[in-house]
Amino acid sequence: MSDATLTSPAVEPVVQPEPPRPHDAGSLISMRNIWKTYEMGSEKVHALHGVSFDIPKGEYIAIIGPSGSGKSTLMNLIGCLDTPSQGEYWLNAKNVSEMDDDELARIRNQEVGFVFQTFNLLARATALHNVELPLIYGGVSSAQRHEMAKKALAAVDLTDRMMHRPNELSGGQRQRVAIARALVNHPSILLADEPTGALDSRTSMEIMDLFERLHSEGNTIIVVTHEPDVAARAHRVVSIRDGLIEKDEKSR
Amino acid sequence: MKFIETLKLAIAAIWAHKLRSALTLLGMIIGVTAFVVVVSLIQGFNRYIDEKIAGIGSKSFTVQRFNFEDFKDLDSIAAAQRRNKELTLDDLEYLRARATLIDKIGAKARASRSLVKRESKFAEDVPVDGSMAVIAEIDNTNIAEGRFFTESENDAAMRVAFIGMDVANALFPAGASTAIGQEISIAGLPYRVIGIAEAKGTVFGIPQDNFITLPLKTYGNNFGGFTRNRLLYFQATSKTDDTFVDAVDEARFLLRARRRLKAEEKDNFGIVTPDAITGFRDRLLGPTYIVAIAVPGIALLVGAIVIMNIMLVSVTERTKEIGVRKSLGARQMDILKQFLVEAVTLSAIGGGIGVLLAWIIGTILTAIFFPTYLSIGAILFTVFVSGGIGVAAGVFPAWKAARLDPIEALRSD
Repeated sequence: MSDATLTSPAVEPVVQPEPPRPHDAGSLISMRNIWKTYEMGSEKVHALHGVSFDIPKGEYIAIIGPSGSGKSTLMNLIGCLDTPSQGEYWLNAKNVSEMDDDELARIRNQEVGFVFQTFNLLARATALHNVELPLIYGGVSSAQRHEMAKKALAAVDLTDRMMHRPNELSGGQRQRVAIARALVNHPSILLADEPTGALDSRTSMEIMDLFERLHSEGNTIIVVTHEPDVAARAHRVVSIRDGLIEKDEKSR
Repeated sequence: MKFIETLKLAIAAIWAHKLRSALTLLGMIIGVTAFVVVVSLIQGFNRYIDEKIAGIGSKSFTVQRFNFEDFKDLDSIAAAQRRNKELTLDDLEYLRARATLIDKIGAKARASRSLVKRESKFAEDVPVDGSMAVIAEIDNTNIAEGRFFTESENDAAMRVAFIGMDVANALFPAGASTAIGQEISIAGLPYRVIGIAEAKGTVFGIPQDNFITLPLKTYGNNFGGFTRNRLLYFQATSKTDDTFVDAVDEARFLLRARRRLKAEEKDNFGIVTPDAITGFRDRLLGPTYIVAIAVPGIALLVGAIVIMNIMLVSVTERTKEIGVRKSLGARQMDILKQFLVEAVTLSAIGGGIGVLLAWIIGTILTAIFFPTYLSIGAILFTVFVSGGIGVAAGVFPAWKAARLDPIEALRSD
């Protein structure tokens, strides 16, 4: 909620929202005039002022912005952890904006793979079990789960670390386990929140290289960051400021 | 999410905090143990009495000087002592001659405590009583060695003794079987041992095998008349089971007629039937049972509160984990089940350990003090109750966990 508190309701939008178009059926993600409003006591605080954009399948996109810009709010909406106050959000041809908690949980399970800054692995579980978690909630049978999780770990070159717990792994290895966990269900999008924020620069490079490889294999990757180096690796950069899209540019 | 996954998760979480789980369960274990021990004592006591009644034959009754009701307070004891005449052998003959529904009837006299000796061995304060030969049949007395005395030995007032196993062991260290035919001295007079009763162990810490039974007439001759502490009482059986109640009524009316009681007067004697014994037991112990079960119940309540408390701590501690699980697709029901199953598992483990401890304590109690009995029903009930306590203690923390906002939960440390 830090974004919301820092966004004053008095501030005039820097850029007027473009008039909403109907959602693009060809896009993987289609956001139309998204508003997110928080009630802070009697005051209403707008974290997002009518954001609209599309992300086609297979894109590698970075969302950047200073803290308090509405960047985290946008990420939570994209990741289906939250629903917009107004507007429509279509993810993989499903209207997510109207869903209840359990439907959102299902979408998160099937369509979204999260990668967090602090990895968020379960400390007591092995790498393999951590990767299996989304499959458990997806109701996949135990044998099939094992196979899929092993494959996902192999894809991030961690076959020999499967039975290790997070505290027996380096930071880069942990993040690779997290990436394997995010991808194990073959989600529509890989949503990374400051994925290199807790890593040294050399390991950060490794992780970004991995993202690039995953992108070349056809995954749709959304990285939320405030680090220009990380954003520069993406093929499209969306800048958020004061709850609005300030810039949206293809870099390559 | 399948139940088996949830259960695995719960066990892993409990195992991850072994010491904490163990301390959490302590209250539960103490509560369940106390509860089950009390229940098994009560069940054991009830069974003991039932077996006792079955042993003496459910169709035998006792005629004695006082009624149970006479003992309810000091005034009624005093009144009964004035009103109720001692039973005599003439009363017995009167009943024997007139009762048509009684099969066997015989008299016993209450015990006196005596010093018993054999050479250098002796036993102090052994209860010595007198009995007619027919009593052994009415009582279904089980004989380990030798035999009970006969009616003619009674009539001849022979100095023969039927002794309990404790007495035999005390006087004949070489083995109870060597006692038969040997001479022992009771209150200074010589008697010949003719039989030893089968061992019965102890009840409420009171040994059941420390006694000597003499022929009634011998007892009367050598210990003094059947008065004061040597009161006579009669034991009788009915001819058939169906006429048992009638036989009891017949005996009552005969005695009332003999004592010329008017219709409105109370009996000035007591008749004790198996129903009267169980009825008396239930009246006497009913309130005790309630208290005995309520006190461990409070321990169980405390155990439940401890479990709820630790589950709340656990939810707070694992807020981040809950956030991660939700972000990976766990629904509210998945999280609710995870914590609820954890609480129930914790509680059921406590219940299981409690039952096990209670069973061990019960076994020890049975060996040294009093027969306990733990029925399958009581075990199932306890497991059910501890599971229920787990649900009651876990539902609020689990609901709190399930309702956490994933964004807030992910942000927590």
